[in-house]
Amino acid sequence: MLPLSWYLIVSAILFTIGVSGVLIRRNPLVIFMSIELMLNAVNLSFIAFSRYLDSVDGQMFVFLVLTVAAAEVVVGLALIVFIFRTRRDIDVDDMNVLRG
Amino acid sequence: MIDLQLELSFFVLAVASIASAIGVIAFRNAVYSALSLILTLLFLALFYLQLGAMFIAIVQILIYAGAIMVLFLFVVTMLASEASDTELPDRIPWQRGIAATLGLILVGTLSYLLFTGTPMYVASTATHDNSLSLKVAAQGNIEAFGLALFHGFAFPFEVTSLLIVVAILGALVFGRRA
Amino acid sequence: MINLTLEVLLFPLLGFIILGLAGRFISRTAILTIACGACGLAFLCAAISFFSVLGTPASTFVSNPAAGDQIFYTWVVSGDFQVSFGLLLDPLSAVMLMVVTGVGFIIHVYSGGYMEDDPGFWRYFSFLNFFIFAMVLLVGADNFLFLLVGWALVGLASYLLIGFWYQRRAAVAAAQKALVINIIGDFGLMIAIFMIFTFTAQKDGTGTLNYFMNPGAGGPLTGVFTSLSTVPHNYWRVVVICLLLFVACTAKSAQLPLYMWLPDAMEGPTPVSALIHAATMVTAGVYLVARANPIFEVAPLALMVVGIIGGVTALFAASIALFQLDVKRVLAYSTISQLGYMFMAEGVHNYSTGIFHLITHAYFKALLFLAVGAVIHALGGEQDIRKMGGLRARMPITFWTFVIAALAISGIPPFAGFWSKDEILGSLFASGGRLGYALWVIGIVTAGLTGFYIFRLVFGIFMGSYRGTGPVRHAHGDEEEEEPVEAELASARQPVRSRGSGNPARGAGNGSIFEAPTIMTIPLIILAFLSVVGGFVGSFSLFGDPGWHPLATFLAPVFNTVHTFVEPSFTRQWISTAVSVVVSSLGIGGAWLLYGKGFEYKENKNPFYQLVFHKYYVDEFFGLVLIRPLLWLGRAASHWLEGDALDGGSRAVAWVLRGTSAGLSRLQTGYMRNYALAILFGVVVIILYYAVRR
Repeated sequence: MLPLSWYLIVSAILFTIGVSGVLIRRNPLVIFMSIELMLNAVNLSFIAFSRYLDSVDGQMFVFLVLTVAAAEVVVGLALIVFIFRTRRDIDVDDMNVLRG
Repeated sequence: MIDLQLELSFFVLAVASIASAIGVIAFRNAVYSALSLILTLLFLALFYLQLGAMFIAIVQILIYAGAIMVLFLFVVTMLASEASDTELPDRIPWQRGIAATLGLILVGTLSYLLFTGTPMYVASTATHDNSLSLKVAAQGNIEAFGLALFHGFAFPFEVTSLLIVVAILGALVFGRRA
Repeated sequence: MINLTLEVLLFPLLGFIILGLAGRFISRTAILTIACGACGLAFLCAAISFFSVLGTPASTFVSNPAAGDQIFYTWVVSGDFQVSFGLLLDPLSAVMLMVVTGVGFIIHVYSGGYMEDDPGFWRYFSFLNFFIFAMVLLVGADNFLFLLVGWALVGLASYLLIGFWYQRRAAVAAAQKALVINIIGDFGLMIAIFMIFTFTAQKDGTGTLNYFMNPGAGGPLTGVFTSLSTVPHNYWRVVVICLLLFVACTAKSAQLPLYMWLPDAMEGPTPVSALIHAATMVTAGVYLVARANPIFEVAPLALMVVGIIGGVTALFAASIALFQLDVKRVLAYSTISQLGYMFMAEGVHNYSTGIFHLITHAYFKALLFLAVGAVIHALGGEQDIRKMGGLRARMPITFWTFVIAALAISGIPPFAGFWSKDEILGSLFASGGRLGYALWVIGIVTAGLTGFYIFRLVFGIFMGSYRGTGPVRHAHGDEEEEEPVEAELASARQPVRSRGSGNPARGAGNGSIFEAPTIMTIPLIILAFLSVVGGFVGSFSLFGDPGWHPLATFLAPVFNTVHTFVEPSFTRQWISTAVSVVVSSLGIGGAWLLYGKGFEYKENKNPFYQLVFHKYYVDEFFGLVLIRPLLWLGRAASHWLEGDALDGGSRAVAWVLRGTSAGLSRLQTGYMRNYALAILFGVVVIILYYAVRR
């Protein structure tokens, strides 16, 4: 078998890519997708650990994360639609009412 | 032989998933980003297969790539704007630099920590009572998963159904025309 | 022994409270009745106590000086330290009480006439009663703490009364000057009291501030004086205590170098000048030295200082009085000079003589002031001698009483001043040594100068022809047209001012100068009578009766640590007396020569004359050396310290906070991505921490 750390490194790289996406992109949908990417990277970690610790708990956790991610996507997209429905250009930096 | 096959497949999957992940954040067109994400999810599902989580792999493809990303595509095409966000003027240009730096630090540190850790290989098959591989060998993958789900994790399972109801209500509320 | 000291204290206090609270609303007659009644009753009680002390044999006081001590209220009990409020009745305080309340009563009556149309009538009398109360407290206290209280309260009364016409800047400035200089003295007194306390605490184990503590049956006498009088001669701590006490006397009794406030205190009403700054308050210093004689006796060094300063001041003040143009200022300097005489007497251990001169001085100085007050009142506020003259015919009573007082102060027999001044000079002459003779010469010269300046006043005011333009009638307390630029230097550069003492009821026309009303002339006559006969309680050894010295005998128990009253030898007495009478007569004669036909003011360009005329430029000197730097310091402190440092400091704090807040609020950009960046930053820090820890 392959060492565990290899899978975890891949997970870390995917996670970092997701983080950069959140910070750099301004399209709210792309930001959301990057968040999904982060969640998936973590899922990969969980599965790897499940295999290497020979326990089903990791897979169970991923199952639940999946469910939560689905619910989150539903609500999040509804919000995005609601906010950005009537705008011409969608830029998340327009939401700076909390400035000051 | 088996190891070589394993390693090869690992590297191919790793490279592919990272490439498509980069594609998610790099494409100017949001639709392309969504498609890249689907691709990434697929490769991750293959990873899960390689790690012996059959049920989760299938569920990932069905739900994540099948349902959630479709939803994403609906919204992306609904909110399509003329200008993509990489062309609009950036109000905080310094954010990129700092984000890149921090990202590099993050991945570098994590890699360093992971590389210098003790390598851990798969445990031998029958090390503890809760051993998954035993159950899998006894009953098969999905049965093992199902048993664990409905015996040990029944309560979280029910709670997630509640969560889904709440999400639906939230979507309904937000989705109404003003 | 009937001890009514408490009543003497309480009657004026009661008068003060009643007049202070209700005086505004009651009629003048009522105010006058209450005020004079309070003082009169106080005098009555003082007289009863005095005669009761007179009837007590002297041995009572010799064996137990605290025989007349009454303690009314224990105020502080703190470990071994105990202070109680009590009043001491012994020969010295009995005499002082008589003088204070007696002369005080006379002046109360006089003021009824002088201040009759002043709008602050009730305020004046409430302050006057307050003063009597404070002075009685000072004189009657049986411990140093309440002496200090009385001391400070008379300073307050003086401030209130000098600045009585508070609308005048000059009066307010004078009152402030008096207060500031008196506080220097109060400070000296306080330090002295602290030192006394620590000394008695160390020596006896329990600190006390009482003069004498009543011994238990058959027990030893204790108290400050017994503790402090059993130390080696000139023990440095006692010398310092005495010098500090004398500092207080210098300030209160206007000796060098703290005399400057007294001439300016003439801004107050004339009866106030008579009472406070001639007869009673300024004599508090003399009283203090006499009271603390057991301490001074073991510090002859300090006593020498007392004598020397007294002498120098006497001469100095008399020289200034020669050329002053404001009649009240002449009398002020005369007071300073005569107080110097009293300190000279005490400086050669002759305390009873000092007190004797205090008594006679009270009579004739009060009379001088009141008579001058009558003149000022009649002339509608004129105080400049150049504008007076020829009033003899119009104000005969005033004239004759003034002359009697002038003869008394010059030391012409048989008037009161002769006896007391002569006793002083005789004892100076008799004490011998360089100090005694030097002081004697000073005393003689000063006597000559006294005769000169006082008769200059007599001739200038009453002889010759009237040089003024007629009385100008204003109300009291009018704002003056010309205001000095800096009020604190006002008194130094103040030309002689005219002040209104309006008398509209007495004929509105100008040129009408009348004799003073009866309410004012009766006190004059009483005081004149006392100035004639008051001296007969002194020593008659000059005229062949060495056994007659009633006052000295009466006061002897108080001064029994002193060498008993040594009669100077007959020859010495006669020499001293003769010389002093001759010199005084020369002075009078000189005045008659120059001014007999009336006062002609000649501008004298002689630089010597100018120096003395401007009072040796002392006020200007202090203004330059002390006042200006202090004011500069005050303004600088206000500007730099308070403005820049404190205000600036707090503004700087505010500025820092505002800056920090502004800086921090820039973190709140409102951009979600920035917040996400911040979260990532935190995560990276944590991970780095673990990496480093590895």
